[in-house]
Amino acid sequence: MNGVMLGSTYALLGIGLTLVFGIMRIVNFTHGEFYALGAYMAYLFVAQLGVNFFAAILLATAIGMIVGAALEFFILRRLKTTDIDSVMLLMIGLWIAMQNTEQLIWGGVAKLIPSPFAQQPLVFGPVSVSPLKVFVLVTAIVLLIAFHLLINHTRLGLAMRSTFQDRDVASLMGVNVGTIYMATFALGSGLAAVAGALLGPIFLVSPTMGDLASLKAFAIVILGGLGSTVGATIGGFVLALVEEFGSGYVSADFRDAFSFLVIVAVLILRPQGLFAPKERVG
Amino acid sequence: MLKLENLTVCYGAVTALRDVSIAVGEGELVTLIGANGAGKTTTLKAISGMLPLAAGTITFDGRKIGGATPRQILALGIAHCPEGRRVLPQLTVRENLEMGAFLRHDHAVVRSDMERIFVKLPRLRERVMQVAGTLSGGEQQMLAIARSLMSRPRMILLDEPSLGLAPNITEIIFEIIDDIRRDGTTVLMVEQNALAALDMCDRCYLLETGRVVQSGTGDQMLDDAHVRRAYLGG
Repeated sequence: MNGVMLGSTYALLGIGLTLVFGIMRIVNFTHGEFYALGAYMAYLFVAQLGVNFFAAILLATAIGMIVGAALEFFILRRLKTTDIDSVMLLMIGLWIAMQNTEQLIWGGVAKLIPSPFAQQPLVFGPVSVSPLKVFVLVTAIVLLIAFHLLINHTRLGLAMRSTFQDRDVASLMGVNVGTIYMATFALGSGLAAVAGALLGPIFLVSPTMGDLASLKAFAIVILGGLGSTVGATIGGFVLALVEEFGSGYVSADFRDAFSFLVIVAVLILRPQGLFAPKERVG
Repeated sequence: MLKLENLTVCYGAVTALRDVSIAVGEGELVTLIGANGAGKTTTLKAISGMLPLAAGTITFDGRKIGGATPRQILALGIAHCPEGRRVLPQLTVRENLEMGAFLRHDHAVVRSDMERIFVKLPRLRERVMQVAGTLSGGEQQMLAIARSLMSRPRMILLDEPSLGLAPNITEIIFEIIDDIRRDGTTVLMVEQNALAALDMCDRCYLLETGRVVQSGTGDQMLDDAHVRRAYLGG
């Protein structure tokens, strides 16, 4: 149950990253910081401003999307170069800047987000789960379904998939590629922020929480195949389950090491990812 | 209808088109022929807004369209079917056609337009739910042309529609293009198969190293000594 709950949020995180990479060809090092931003916004609204818990998660997600859109519009769009190395350096700079801003505002001490759910676990036969985790799982699953509907059954989704496959042709079909980029970055950031806002109350919120989130998001994306949202969804679940079973059956101390073992194994055995889309050349 | 005047286009320091002037009248089928690197594709890309102009003007229906975005140019009624088919490989045939109609909001008419295309090209109907990347080269070219038609353009730019296709498939593609012209759509086509291009066109421009070196009706060009020697194999 823990594994599935964690997997659903990892999937949100992974999809966000793979979307930005797939469509914009940007290696988004700030992804984990949007995760942290989501968690801090949840903390700000719930613990500091006393906003309703559910409303706070919505607000945190919305702010993640707005900040993401602003970052695309004011910074990424103005770049004179699309050279992947320079863009990567810029993203690393933004990552450090965002992390230090969080530290400046909220300090280095980890924060706890109070949740309105009872501590008492729900007991179903031999399984007992905390109500908060059930809420997180259900919300994440609903969001995953909504995301796949958006990508596969809307005009925006069609335009995004076209831009992903062939940017020039998409623009010849009348797609405004700039708008798609902004929507993509906002959506990717929003997915990271909602993952952070959902997991924040379960774990603690600290300025460096984004680092591990970024690394895991990269692990998920590598696992699922770069640019594949279905791959990222499955990759998120696989990674969480490996972590859970690894820490349960082997050692909890190596919990995070298992995810990286998985990446190493995938890169050696199947570098295109487990679910990379089939391509026809020529 | 479409007029290019003294067009110059550069890729960085390299000048790809120099002082090119071309005119296409309403309902005409005009072709651009020439060797690789002569600037044929560049000309089409400049018209559809994919490349910036270094100098010169492009006028469509008396309106200056130089510097407009591909989206604006498509909205004015010029569709560009790019070289190499460029279907969206992971989208289905239907989704590719829907992308062609991306700017249209008359969804009922779009559906009937798609139906008309299926009547003309039944092979696309058979493969409507198949992803485009799995189609054969000829089917992909049909799809690419059909996709351009889905925007209901008044003028269509076709870049090398016969490239890499077997002769019998090429024939089918040329029949489709003939059909498009008969429906009243103006065509500007780049074609490496000079003989076929001259045969079917109203007028033709010959490009060499970024300049227009000759122009005339298809028959005039067929009789021209230079054209015969350089492009028709004597």
